[in-house]
Amino acid sequence: MSDSFSIYGEQITSRLLIGSALYPSPAIMAESIIASGAEVVTVSLRRQQSAAAGDDFWQLIKDTGLKILPNTAGCHSVKEAVTLAQMCREVFSTDWIKLELIGDEYNLQPDPFALLEATKILMDDGFKVLPYCTDDLVLCQRLADIGCEVLMPWGAPIGTGKGLLNQYNLKTIRERLPELTLIVDAGLGLPSHACQALELGYDAVLLNSAIAGAGCPVTMSHAFKAAVDAGRFAYKAKAMPEKEVAAPSTPTMGMPFWHQT
Amino acid sequence: MSYNIAVVGFGLTGRLAALELSLAHNVTVYEADDAQARNSAGRVAAAMLAPLAESVLCEQDLALMGLDSISRWPGILAQLDETVFFQQQGTLVVAHQQDKGDLQSFTERLKPLANHHAQQLSGPHISELEPELSGRFNQGVYLPCEGQIDNQAFYQASYNTLQKRAVSFKFGENVDVTCERFQQSFDYIIDCRGLGAKGAAHQLRGVRGEVIRLHAPEVNLTRPVRLMHPRYPLYIAPKPNHEYVIGATEIESQDNGPATVRSTLELLSAAYTVHSGFAEARIINIQTGLRPAFSDNRPQVKHQGKVISINGLYRHGYLLAPSLVAEAVALIN
Repeated sequence: MSDSFSIYGEQITSRLLIGSALYPSPAIMAESIIASGAEVVTVSLRRQQSAAAGDDFWQLIKDTGLKILPNTAGCHSVKEAVTLAQMCREVFSTDWIKLELIGDEYNLQPDPFALLEATKILMDDGFKVLPYCTDDLVLCQRLADIGCEVLMPWGAPIGTGKGLLNQYNLKTIRERLPELTLIVDAGLGLPSHACQALELGYDAVLLNSAIAGAGCPVTMSHAFKAAVDAGRFAYKAKAMPEKEVAAPSTPTMGMPFWHQT
Repeated sequence: MSYNIAVVGFGLTGRLAALELSLAHNVTVYEADDAQARNSAGRVAAAMLAPLAESVLCEQDLALMGLDSISRWPGILAQLDETVFFQQQGTLVVAHQQDKGDLQSFTERLKPLANHHAQQLSGPHISELEPELSGRFNQGVYLPCEGQIDNQAFYQASYNTLQKRAVSFKFGENVDVTCERFQQSFDYIIDCRGLGAKGAAHQLRGVRGEVIRLHAPEVNLTRPVRLMHPRYPLYIAPKPNHEYVIGATEIESQDNGPATVRSTLELLSAAYTVHSGFAEARIINIQTGLRPAFSDNRPQVKHQGKVISINGLYRHGYLLAPSLVAEAVALIN
């Protein structure tokens, strides 16, 4: 049974997108990526200074054979992000861009206004933009209005590992934008967080620190893979309705009378 | 038996190899730069000897090798004609409020190393160790076995000492260690080129690091202080004469150009948040280096024909070089 989701028309089977930063070594990174079963890996170009300077590290990522989703991590202005996106397109030969535009240095919260502006510029320039955004419905609607087919609302601020801080918001976005591909990006710490996101009907999760920062990244990768599968199965199976009053799973009708109080 | 040995690359491992081998053999040192070996990572490094702290990210065998190396350093420095600052008074690890979680997970991940255990510190304990940090941090960790070296003094003193021994120096020479003609002149070739061996060594890459050296007369720290930072392990390492080395960034890049504004701001503000006395410090220099590393970030000693190569010391040059050089020298003897 094929169960895939779409990133701008491209069918992706693995619902775990993985980052490539902060691992103890490139070798452990490669092993973790393989263990995760991910088909898409995100890469940051920001701090390498020049395209050639990062070649060795990028080659390791290219060697994984995965689809590369470059990101604009660390950008604070529309101009910076647009320029970096254009550089990424050249270096990685892809029109995909995870657009990250930081509005607050302390919690690395996306700047919704600049994000919208930069998304528009890049979409007009032919990019397939995957904006990293907050869990604000109206922002998500506006991004959809200008043509985004994929949105990546946060679960919690980057690197906090706090999980889905506002499930209500995430659920609302899912319900109101049923046609869009939605990926929870950032803030996940535990496999159960990823599982919850998939249970809510999110198409996938994107994470980095939760695996790279684990005591044993490779083992944690396996855990996330299993959790994402569990969440997806649960969503497709449709959960039972939640109730306020206990309902026994064994009917009491046929019970002998002396067991009844 | 005395051999003709070429040491290729005059960075940290090259210097250590030349010091060790010149006691019994005829040594010729080749270096692409001059005696300064400006492209060597060891010249820029903070020169920390931190096996416990590094055990958080590296395998236990490497951390234990670090302990072994620390015990070798005093003997190495004793060979030199000048005194080189070496200290083993432990490291103090502190974190700002927002990075407390990182400090906790760091502490949990320290690997057991022989009998060396990390000690949890409260505010008053921190003040006892470093009075000038009194009131700034209420929680920290003390790593007793750790130390540091003044790398600049070591670079100078090792060169001076080797000059007095009958070591020949060939500066400004790029050597192909695999070249048959070159190999014919020597019994052994110790390849210590670091990133200079890129291309020849499979999957060797550079990892950029930026380091700032300050002169801070208002700051009196007696031992290295490590500050928990979300991106890199940051050290403030006190060297002689009120000099402090702040470093280092760690970026997956081959770029060896000058430090960026962002890195400079991060390093200096980290130092300033630990001790406000750094506000009036003078910046002596801001340097960039590339750490040679293999994809598993582990060092390699390889023996092939006449060539013994030592490479991939990554961020553990001073921590591991003495043991790795001893391993290489043992292949000759």
